[in-house]
Amino acid sequence: MIIEILQQMLNGLAIGSVYTVIALGLTVVFGILGIAHFAHGSVAMSGGYLTFLFGERLAIGFFPAMALAMLVGAVIGLLIERLAYRPVRDAPHINAFIIALGLTMMVEGINLLAFGADQVVIQTPYRGVFNVGGVAVAELRLLVILTACTLIGVVALLISRTKTGKSIRAVAQNRPAAVLMGINVNRVSAIVFSVSSALGAAAGALVGALLAIAPGVGEGLAVKGFAVLILGGLGSIPGAIVGGLVLGVSESLAAGFISSAYKDVIAFMVMIVVLLFRPEGLLGKR
Amino acid sequence: MNKLARSIAAVSAALACLGAAAADKELLIGVNDSLTGPGAVYGLPQANAVQMAADEINAAGGIKAGGDVYKLRVIANDDKANPTEATNSVRKLIDRDGVKYLLGFCCSGPTSAVASFIERENALMLVGNAAERAITAKGTPNLFRTRPPADFTGAAAGAFVGKRGAKNIAVIGSLDVGFYTQYLEAFEREFAKAGGKIVAKETFGLKDRDMTPQLTKVRALNPDALLVLGYVEPSAFVYRQATELGMTIPRYGFTSGSEEQFLRVATSEQMEGVWDLRPTELTVEALADNAKTYVANYTKRFGTPPSPSSPYAYDQVYVLKQAVERAGSAEDPKKVTAEVRKVTVPKEAVMKYLPVGGTMFDVNGQAYTSNGAFQWQKGKWVYVSDLPSDPALYSEFLRGLRK
Repeated sequence: MIIEILQQMLNGLAIGSVYTVIALGLTVVFGILGIAHFAHGSVAMSGGYLTFLFGERLAIGFFPAMALAMLVGAVIGLLIERLAYRPVRDAPHINAFIIALGLTMMVEGINLLAFGADQVVIQTPYRGVFNVGGVAVAELRLLVILTACTLIGVVALLISRTKTGKSIRAVAQNRPAAVLMGINVNRVSAIVFSVSSALGAAAGALVGALLAIAPGVGEGLAVKGFAVLILGGLGSIPGAIVGGLVLGVSESLAAGFISSAYKDVIAFMVMIVVLLFRPEGLLGKR
Repeated sequence: MNKLARSIAAVSAALACLGAAAADKELLIGVNDSLTGPGAVYGLPQANAVQMAADEINAAGGIKAGGDVYKLRVIANDDKANPTEATNSVRKLIDRDGVKYLLGFCCSGPTSAVASFIERENALMLVGNAAERAITAKGTPNLFRTRPPADFTGAAAGAFVGKRGAKNIAVIGSLDVGFYTQYLEAFEREFAKAGGKIVAKETFGLKDRDMTPQLTKVRALNPDALLVLGYVEPSAFVYRQATELGMTIPRYGFTSGSEEQFLRVATSEQMEGVWDLRPTELTVEALADNAKTYVANYTKRFGTPPSPSSPYAYDQVYVLKQAVERAGSAEDPKKVTAEVRKVTVPKEAVMKYLPVGGTMFDVNGQAYTSNGAFQWQKGKWVYVSDLPSDPALYSEFLRGLRK
């Protein structure tokens, strides 16, 4: 029984770490610019498709292909910020909301046109299985967790330790004051979107390697990402990390011990229960 | 004068040619299948197979019926494995395109939706890979199916696994899909006769890709074997994730996927030893020369080998050809339908059909193929043995469901 619980938790951690990477991309955009970037899931799917494409065409291995896809993802993020969101930055919130919805359909449509409707699974050479006290640890799952941890660490360092990070935090705290202090808000906004989309692309690649990417998967990921965001606390980076892992593990435990048909229901019930007692989310600020 | 005579001769020859061309009639075939989405692994190869058979018949001069020669033209519509899309697609084929002969139909959900209204239409419907029993259980007069129902195969599979000595088996599959539960019911009945017991029934959705929670649960029960019932892609994930969880028990399944389709998800090492207990579909070792020619032609034409179940649709075209020849015309679908009842297994058929009462289709409009046990060995499906099945007995049972 203990081994089963540990195994289920490990299964959940692999999926949860992907949710965390997705939510991290969403939370930096939301925390800093206040935009609910629904198209993030579709951008993540583009990242997965690109990783597959680079891996197949250039034969460069999974991680270099993922890095290239993250670069392209960053450029996509820049374009999205410049062409879609910046023009409505000072307009009422509903405008950005509608643009976010439209953008989701557009990116999903572009993915469909560019990569087709078939499911894509990114093949990796990481097929080993280790047995740790009866718990099977698949090499690929371990690498997914480690990659997610690395990405989370890099983003945390970027925000907490660099000058760019300081200006990002300043804009998040008080945009008018940041402008008065000479911070270029346009630059900060562009950086945030490129970082967010690069993270999204990485999450897409991890989903593609662990499971599969196909039309519709991105929307599901965005929904999970927002659930994590609310669970962890809007705009909170530690909240996204904890929220993602809690969601992944509770899904896995629910599927294993109750029923796979109810795994989403139970995961969202956990979210509702948490919000009943902590409306600001697990690590959100009051 | 000479010039005039030559001109007249040329014009007469041209008119004669025109006359001959006008005698060629067109027989429109409407293919409704899942060309995209989760069913595309079955539907797209079926649509390709129909096109290939139609082109072969056209290249050989078309279908000669009565005094007419029919050339085949195929229109293929995508139902995305969705019942509403299938209904719309078939309505368009019948109402807008004037199609009277409907072929394809790989997936049970959309096929059942069309089967529910096809009796009222002046059209003939030939169903391929869709395995839900109810499709032919009603005995719809203008509907015929080339693939045997899932439970016909499930019973044979249960007896086979029981004979191999498994006592406790865990099932993981799309158990909210009718034909998989029918397969499982028949499997369980025969497996119990051999002293076996099902210790777990775990479900996954058609679009689920992470089955590790269910597999972890199953692993804790220490079963002797695993039975996987589902579409190719989720099943391939189950096989892959079972190895990732260190499970080494025998894995049996009911999926009908090709090597290429499985290898898109799992590696050959992860698939090694997996059994597929299904109708004796396309495997060169299991079938006759027609299958070899079919595989070669299909691969040459589409650049990829055919899926194991695609010949169900290929064979439909030759069933239609024989029925039209017997009817002497393709103008009246009712006459052609009456002749489909009498067709014998076409000599071009790729699958190994087991005729009931001398004809290819029984009174329910159902054809039967033999069932087989296939095992993944070193990168490919190898036909290991036949699974004993009794089509006459099953036909009676299916007929009995109508009462």
